[in-house]
Amino acid sequence: MILPGSVKECVQALAEHGAAAKLVAGGTDLLPQLKNHLLKPGVVVDLSGVATLKKLTADKGLRIGAAVTARELERDGRLATGAYRGLAESGALVGSVQVRHLATVGGNICNAAPSADMIPPLLALDAEAVIAGPRGERRVPLRDFITGVRTTVLGADELLVELSVPDPGPHSGGAYLRHTPRRELDIAVVGVGSQVTLANGVCTKARIALAAVAPTPVHARAAERALEGQALTPQRIEEAAKLAVEAARPISDQRGSVEFRRHLVRVLTRRTLTTALARANGGQA
Amino acid sequence: MSTMKTTRDVRGVGLSIPRPDGPEKVTGRVQYVADMTSRGLLHAKLLRSRHAHARIVGIDTTRAKALPGVRAVLTARDIPELKHKAPTRAHAVLAIDRVVFAGQPVAAVAADEAAIAEEALDLIEVQYEVLPAAVDPLKSMQPGAPPVAELGTEADTSEALAHSAVAMAKGEAAPAKAVNISQTAAVKRGDVAKGFAESDLVLEHTYRVPMVHQGYLEPHAVLAEWDRAGNLTLWASTQGSFNTRSEVADVLGIEENRIKVIPVECGGGFGGKIRALCEPITALLARATKRPVRYVMTRREELEAGMPAPQVIIRLKTGVKRDGALMALEAETVLESGAFSGTVLAVSAVFLGSLYRWPAFDIKGSEVLTHKPSVAAYRAPVAPQTIFAIDSHMESLARALALDPVEFRRRHLQKPGEPMVNNQPWASNGAHEVLTRIAEHPLWKEREAWKKSSGNGHGLRGTGLALGGWLGGLQPTSATVKLNPDGTLAVLTGQVDIAGTNIALAQIAATAYGLDIDKVKITTGDTDVAPLTGLSAGSKTIYTVGTAVLQAAQNARQQTLEIAAKELEASVQDLEIVDGKVIVRGVPDKGVTLASIGKKGNLYMSKVEPVLGVAHPAFSQQAPAFAAQLARIEVDPDTGQTTLHDFVVVQDAGHAINPLGVEGQMQGGAVQSLGIALTEALMYDDSGRLMNPSLLDYRTLTAADLPDIETIIVEVPSPSGPYGARGVGEPPIVPAPAALANAIHDATGVRLTEVPLTPERIALAIAAKG
Amino acid sequence: MNVRKQAMTLTLNDELVEVLVKPYETLLDTLRETLGLTGPKEGCGTGDCGACTVHLDGKAVASCLVLALQARNRQVRTIEGLGTDDTLHPLQDAFVRHGVPQCGFCIPGVLMAAAALLAETPRPSDEEIRYGIAGNLCRCTGYTKMVTAIAEAAAAVPQGAR
Ligand SMILES: Cc1cc2nc3c(=O)[nH]c(=O)nc-3n(C[C@H](O)[C@H](O)[C@H](O)COP(=O)(O)OP(=O)(O)OC[C@H]3O[C@@H](n4cnc5c(N)ncnc54)[C@H](O)[C@@H]3O)c2cc1C
Repeated sequence: MILPGSVKECVQALAEHGAAAKLVAGGTDLLPQLKNHLLKPGVVVDLSGVATLKKLTADKGLRIGAAVTARELERDGRLATGAYRGLAESGALVGSVQVRHLATVGGNICNAAPSADMIPPLLALDAEAVIAGPRGERRVPLRDFITGVRTTVLGADELLVELSVPDPGPHSGGAYLRHTPRRELDIAVVGVGSQVTLANGVCTKARIALAAVAPTPVHARAAERALEGQALTPQRIEEAAKLAVEAARPISDQRGSVEFRRHLVRVLTRRTLTTALARANGGQA
Repeated sequence: MSTMKTTRDVRGVGLSIPRPDGPEKVTGRVQYVADMTSRGLLHAKLLRSRHAHARIVGIDTTRAKALPGVRAVLTARDIPELKHKAPTRAHAVLAIDRVVFAGQPVAAVAADEAAIAEEALDLIEVQYEVLPAAVDPLKSMQPGAPPVAELGTEADTSEALAHSAVAMAKGEAAPAKAVNISQTAAVKRGDVAKGFAESDLVLEHTYRVPMVHQGYLEPHAVLAEWDRAGNLTLWASTQGSFNTRSEVADVLGIEENRIKVIPVECGGGFGGKIRALCEPITALLARATKRPVRYVMTRREELEAGMPAPQVIIRLKTGVKRDGALMALEAETVLESGAFSGTVLAVSAVFLGSLYRWPAFDIKGSEVLTHKPSVAAYRAPVAPQTIFAIDSHMESLARALALDPVEFRRRHLQKPGEPMVNNQPWASNGAHEVLTRIAEHPLWKEREAWKKSSGNGHGLRGTGLALGGWLGGLQPTSATVKLNPDGTLAVLTGQVDIAGTNIALAQIAATAYGLDIDKVKITTGDTDVAPLTGLSAGSKTIYTVGTAVLQAAQNARQQTLEIAAKELEASVQDLEIVDGKVIVRGVPDKGVTLASIGKKGNLYMSKVEPVLGVAHPAFSQQAPAFAAQLARIEVDPDTGQTTLHDFVVVQDAGHAINPLGVEGQMQGGAVQSLGIALTEALMYDDSGRLMNPSLLDYRTLTAADLPDIETIIVEVPSPSGPYGARGVGEPPIVPAPAALANAIHDATGVRLTEVPLTPERIALAIAAKG
Repeated sequence: MNVRKQAMTLTLNDELVEVLVKPYETLLDTLRETLGLTGPKEGCGTGDCGACTVHLDGKAVASCLVLALQARNRQVRTIEGLGTDDTLHPLQDAFVRHGVPQCGFCIPGVLMAAAALLAETPRPSDEEIRYGIAGNLCRCTGYTKMVTAIAEAAAAVPQGAR
């Protein structure tokens, strides 16, 4: 096990060991995979000693270190208000408190499970992934970062260092909801993150990101377009919710059927849009 | 110093006393098997089949054996004791030439470290020829289904005997070609066809409860060690050490005297740790290596290859008159037993046909084998599933007839003395009392107002209740009570304390002997030292072992008084035990202390016999116990999510020996019942593989899903139980599936006949209704 | 199999400890198998049950999800270090008096989760308590007495005493 103290050392370690190396942040995805023999890395590179990855700065937008935990998103006062509230909500829903203290944003994204909770709000905020590798840093829009079930654009010699969230502006609201049979300790049957930005009573930007209804988290683009340039009435929101279902390509599995998942996309899109709108309007909802 | 007390004031039965093992448990000092070690300890791992049904073509263990640190690799070929027709799962230690469920062990490894043993598993090569699997019990019953058992394997009815002790006739032989029907039973009374013909309303539903897991937090674990003389010691997490001893002896073909089972603190059993499971293979590995071997199952193995509760499918058809008179009942029960026989058929028939007064009934039951892990008991085996059917049905009938649902149940509920389906009379019980008591609860009385408050930002609100119970198990047992030289009392049984029973047994001894509880110590002995006793199962520990302890304590008291009578030159009838002293009634200064009697029983050259109370009763009279549960809920009609606002358990304990412990049983049982109702199911794909082998996807309820569970203890004394006590462990797991289905129906108008009552099922049913 | 062990130090229940661990060993295994602290239990090994809960720098974590080396130079507290040899922690005391433990297997984890909750939220609501221990599965108690005991222990500690 390699214990780097900086991003640079980390990149060096990856360069040295190549595909045999596996990064570990919180370990909450990795350790069950090790336990169930899904993974047999040659060497594990531990990110827990890299302090810069743990920083969260809020200054005209957000810079979220890859090793910021779900619990920190849940409890950070700077995320408790309208625009970033969806992000805080997604962090609060992960696992249990014992898991949230470990689970990192970067791990959630790089593990790239279709059901990952912290991804939809970041997608809805148009976040960008900041990647470090042997050739320096590169930036990839989060929407292009995940390429399939558990696959990303990261090379074997790269790591995710940060999520960069552009300033959503003064009248923006976000919300994240998911459906699970249990209230805690569960994995999303469907998750929806919505973000709306307003100017003069009109929606200037709408983002709706869906989890657990496709191989990767997806944007409901038709639904987003139907809202932009419009005043957000309950009818428009309902129409967008209907359109969002079109973006979903769910499967039936032990957590839910295709039919139920499609049904939930509509319900949760309607609800998150309604809440996001209220938050954009300065409501405390 | 304690104050003067008469026998009646003794601190014993009826007090809420915390379990004495509390401090050890809250400090983490209590040792479970996985916490124990032994010099030279080896760790075991099992290689399990990924296929539900396959022929084993070949196994190559060469590479595994060559791995440094590996001490033994066993396959069926190394175990001559194995029989092709394994009568029970325990006997099928390792698969011989065919695997019959996914998760069945095919090879075993013992190594210096668990990680080495695990690595060795990856080096064992097994060649399978995959065969078609029987996964759905209804299809498995059909002629031509892939066979599960070896031809000629007998049904295993030991579970039924241990648990319910209800005699029932075996059904006629199964159709010859339906190879997977392992047991049938049938009961009939009156003219069912006539009853239906004369009915105004005939209602038919099929109710389904999937396989569920007991979910104990401590996975199965055992530590085995042989001595040079060929004696085996097993440190086991078991609900019955004598049963474990018998089963292991039978599998290994050795005398019971060669095995000592030491029951280690059991981290939950609920029926799943009655039968031997991993003990035989661990013992065999220990024998092969001549080293102590510890085996601890992983959670995944528990879920994939434990001994869950059977799936139960009940087709229920009833006819009633417009005025609510019951006319006829017809039922077909299918119990899915997995790969080995071992379910309880009789319980279902008793509750279906004779909880309520059906003048005519025709009930058939079949146990069906499938290519899944074989089942075992789970707290009140088959009762929650059966009550789900009959109570949902009674509620539907009452509503269809516009009758008050509680009045309807009460009117038809059988009374003690009336016949059960097997024509034996119902024993004394408090079914009527608990039903009456729950109907008086404010939450029931205010159910209309709650329902009316639906909407306006709230979901759909409703209230439901259900009545269920347990017949009460019986098993012979024994106990001793000895007076120590310092006048304290020591109780010895072999009964494993899985539910806080030891403190209650000590309370019984205290009251029966006439000494405060803090002077009474109770020990669960191992199979070498303890007198014989049965399983901690069937809600029978207090009822049966409590009786043994009561009799042994009375016996010890009698001996004590006789010794004192000689010394005091008084007659035994005039004596009483007060404050640790035997006195002549009303003459407190004239007496002899228990300490002096105890001491003389252990003094060099003394002629006084030591006081040793002994009792070893057997039983024939059951003590049924009932619980009623009420749920006040709210359903989100869009997501189908049910929020449980309140939950009430009313239960007849006969006499609550330790109310604190009884409440704990009621609350814990209720939450397991709610798990069956709302979230739990072992889900298999078409090839027979478990789709949810983790506690993330096998969802037992968390604290966040639940309200406080309100408990109301009703006491209808059992004429045969110690101080009137009845069993309390099982009744509370019974009613919730029906209570929740009834509450959801009240809230949404949707009647669901399959649990768990998941958000998906509820939401889609609401959407379908429009 | 790569069994080369690495040395590390950690502060375990207020004492500095040096220990050799294997690269992929979990903190739970180190505590139980190497250091002999068997209070934390393995109920699932995959973070789903909470029986292995310990404090890592004061925060409740599932020790089965932590690689031992990730605890290097950090503070770890287990159930063995919750009270002292002579006195029970108020939570432990309340659990005993309310008769919370039945089989007892989940109890060390629940107590550690509850202690971490009270450190963060000294006067939790019942709902906060329920969410605070929602990562701890218990199969015996139905949680009711647990919640009562935690609420009582919280109320008994003077404000700001932690
Ligand atoms: C009991 C339990 C409940 C859970 N519940 C939820 C839930 O509700 N919602 C949810 O979304 N998830 C849940 N998870 C999954 C998991 O907790 C999250 O995905 C978590 O965010 C993963 O973060 P981590 O730091 O633990 O990742 P790790 O396990 O450390 O890593 C995950 C993967 O990402 C890679 N990786 C990590 N960091 C980086 C980096 N900076 N750059 C490149 N690669 C990296 C690792 O190599 C690994 O492949 C749960 C897990 C458990 C055990």
